[in-house]
Amino acid sequence: MSLLVIEGLDLEIHGAPILKGVSLSVSAGQIVGVIGESGSGKSMTAFAVMQLLPDGAECAGRIDLGGHEVLTLSEAHLREMRGREVGMVFQEPMTALNPIRTIGDQVAETILIHERVSRAEAMTRAAEALRRAELPNDRFPLTRYPHELSGGQRQRVVIAMAIALRPKLLIADEPTTALDVTTQAQILQLLKRLVQEDGMGLLLISHDLAVVADMADEIVIMRRGEVVERGAAKTLFREMQHPYSKALLAASTHVPDRVAEPQEAPLLQVREVVRDYTIHASGWWGKTHTFRAVKGVSFDIKRGESLGLVGESGCGKSTLTRAILGLEEVQSGEIALDGKPVFTGHHANRDIRRRMQVVFQDPYSSFNPRWKVGRLICEPFHLLDNPPKGAQRADAIAEALESVGLRSDDQHKYIHEFSGGQRQRIAIARALIIKPELIILDEAVSALDVSVRAQVLDLLADLSDRFGLSYLFISHDLSVVRSITDRVLVMKAGEIVEQGPTEAVFSTPQHEYTKELIAAAPVLPADAA
Amino acid sequence: MLRYFLKRLLSLALSLVVASIVIFLALEVVPGDPAAYMLGINAQEDTLAALREQLGLNGSLIERYAGWAGGMLHGDFGISYTYRTPVAEMIGERLWISLPLALFALCLSTVIAFPAGIWAASKRGSVVDVVVMGVTQLGVAIPNFWFAMLMVLVFAINLRWFSAGGFVGWDAGFLLAMKSLTLPAVALALPQASILARVMRSSLLDTLSEDFIRTARAKGLSKRQALWRHALRNALIPVLTIIGLQFSFLLAGAIIIENVFFLPGLGRLVFQSISARDLIVVESVVMLLVFAVIVVNFAVDMAYAIVDPRLRGRR
Repeated sequence: MSLLVIEGLDLEIHGAPILKGVSLSVSAGQIVGVIGESGSGKSMTAFAVMQLLPDGAECAGRIDLGGHEVLTLSEAHLREMRGREVGMVFQEPMTALNPIRTIGDQVAETILIHERVSRAEAMTRAAEALRRAELPNDRFPLTRYPHELSGGQRQRVVIAMAIALRPKLLIADEPTTALDVTTQAQILQLLKRLVQEDGMGLLLISHDLAVVADMADEIVIMRRGEVVERGAAKTLFREMQHPYSKALLAASTHVPDRVAEPQEAPLLQVREVVRDYTIHASGWWGKTHTFRAVKGVSFDIKRGESLGLVGESGCGKSTLTRAILGLEEVQSGEIALDGKPVFTGHHANRDIRRRMQVVFQDPYSSFNPRWKVGRLICEPFHLLDNPPKGAQRADAIAEALESVGLRSDDQHKYIHEFSGGQRQRIAIARALIIKPELIILDEAVSALDVSVRAQVLDLLADLSDRFGLSYLFISHDLSVVRSITDRVLVMKAGEIVEQGPTEAVFSTPQHEYTKELIAAAPVLPADAA
Repeated sequence: MLRYFLKRLLSLALSLVVASIVIFLALEVVPGDPAAYMLGINAQEDTLAALREQLGLNGSLIERYAGWAGGMLHGDFGISYTYRTPVAEMIGERLWISLPLALFALCLSTVIAFPAGIWAASKRGSVVDVVVMGVTQLGVAIPNFWFAMLMVLVFAINLRWFSAGGFVGWDAGFLLAMKSLTLPAVALALPQASILARVMRSSLLDTLSEDFIRTARAKGLSKRQALWRHALRNALIPVLTIIGLQFSFLLAGAIIIENVFFLPGLGRLVFQSISARDLIVVESVVMLLVFAVIVVNFAVDMAYAIVDPRLRGRR
């Protein structure tokens, strides 16, 4: 007997078709994974079950939840259903909680809305729900506010809210996308345990094939509002038929071809770099503390080499990046490009600075939306003493855009006219325009869909071959790092705990922390494709 | 929370000291002799000398500042040159009109703006929203003195519900006194209410699109419950900022309205003493207004901390 049956669900928002004939079902105790890229309609399917759709949405078809026809329920009945029959966990734990109410209060609210119990009783049960979500009361009192918790802990609060009334169905929409790999593993473990304990059905939505493959009993693959393929998780990857499913799997395991051999001569030398932050203590008379974000890090990047840097948030990756780029002065140690120091005195060395560029994670917010592309990608020219003008400048713009696979006409457009993948290409064009030798890619492909990510990785490999570029590739996504780097550094709490050739580090990790990271990373089944 | 309070309090005291020094120096750097400026070009030499003595212009800078600031600390603001009465008394009398008027107008503005803003936000795009936005647009655009004159025409001259101006005094009884402040308070409040309602609406709309509202709805709260329990308090921060700014403005910025209604308030006092070149009064009233602004800002800071727990632990 299925808990949730969706049959032929159509959804239109202001007349635009979003979902077309979506069918899937979830049984008690079953985990169904929904995979799809952005715009595939996977989240909208979840919101349709909750009937929490944007204004102007119209559903047709059938959604049966534990015997109720969801599409015919009144708003009052829907409110009874939400939270009691179905709980929901969202992608962004940082913003999913009300910042000005305590966690106990917010979990207890789920209970108070649906049951006539005293506040004290609700609080007791909230403490129990939090304990089940592995936030024990003695360490995480109910009076804590969300800002006093980490991302993973906040996600546990959201989970506690969702399961407080032991709903029959839990919907988790990208529950771990914003989290570090080890936190992700813990949260997934928690969800799995709760499903087993309560016999809940779990609808797990993700863009990450490996996460779903690890967790789900059944997998549904969606594209442009339609289900293209569904099947048992054990066999789906072997037996899938639809070309899109195959393409998706190929893209997520894609390894770009790279021919360039790194030369022996080091391009970037980082020696014993220390970066301290001063933390002003509370009160005017309190002591100031220093926080050492980077603790004596040394490494080289060879010419033409692609070096990976992995580690969890807060490990010092971004601090190190800023130091290499000369954006922040280091307290001790040396950073030199081609033998010349990045810093002379207290100022970044312009001659060196123009030989490196950076590409950031978010292709949406790293551009000024009011500038045209042509002007945007010329920004690094301010590093040159004699920036090209007139025809020379136009040529440089055209060349940069064409080398990342865009057309030179695109320079007259604004950034909102491009898709996420194209924007990231523009970011790469911006980095390329002054012909740097080193490009730092700071989570540069993390926000992209798998198929777009595969294309951008191919582009990066191709550019490196053509221009002899070196990369410092920073990511929390181990599979991407594995596919594109020659060597890898593993960073933890400001120190490099392990480094070596990528394949060696991944296949035979030496340090405990590296082993932990690799064990935590979800993997596709070995027999996939 | 205590630490936050003490820090804000200390910053309040420091701001007052700095403000008093600036006001004092402003008078010092006025080109020429303040006494000569006050008396005009035909002044006698001995009158000038007497005024200089009275202004405390004889003596070193620090002595004079200490005398002036020290006097204010125990309520001695000096003696008005034009009225020959202690400034403290004059200010006291005026304050008994300006302060209640400002509070009255602020209460009216809040009482109008909150429901209007919340209503418009909760029914975004509906007729209610369009009407509230339209009316507040007018309220922002119409000058308050014009609106005041219109009200005098309608309610005082035609309907004879209120008197056209003047203040009956608190001795006449609370209700009568409040009645004579009603038209000016409404005139002051309407533009403020319009601004506040628009801020309330947009702040609430921003908050309603936050992720935690969706979380609240997924728990089973209705739209209305999510608005009242989760959105409203989060939307208050910008609204509190505006309320703080408005109160300071209402206290001192009512000059025109006080003139329209013949109210002997602080605004008129400043206006008259500037016209009469009575620097002693100007200096004292400005200091008082600065004091009021700083105290209001302190109150707003405290209100922030009550609304938002993230601020309490801050440095």
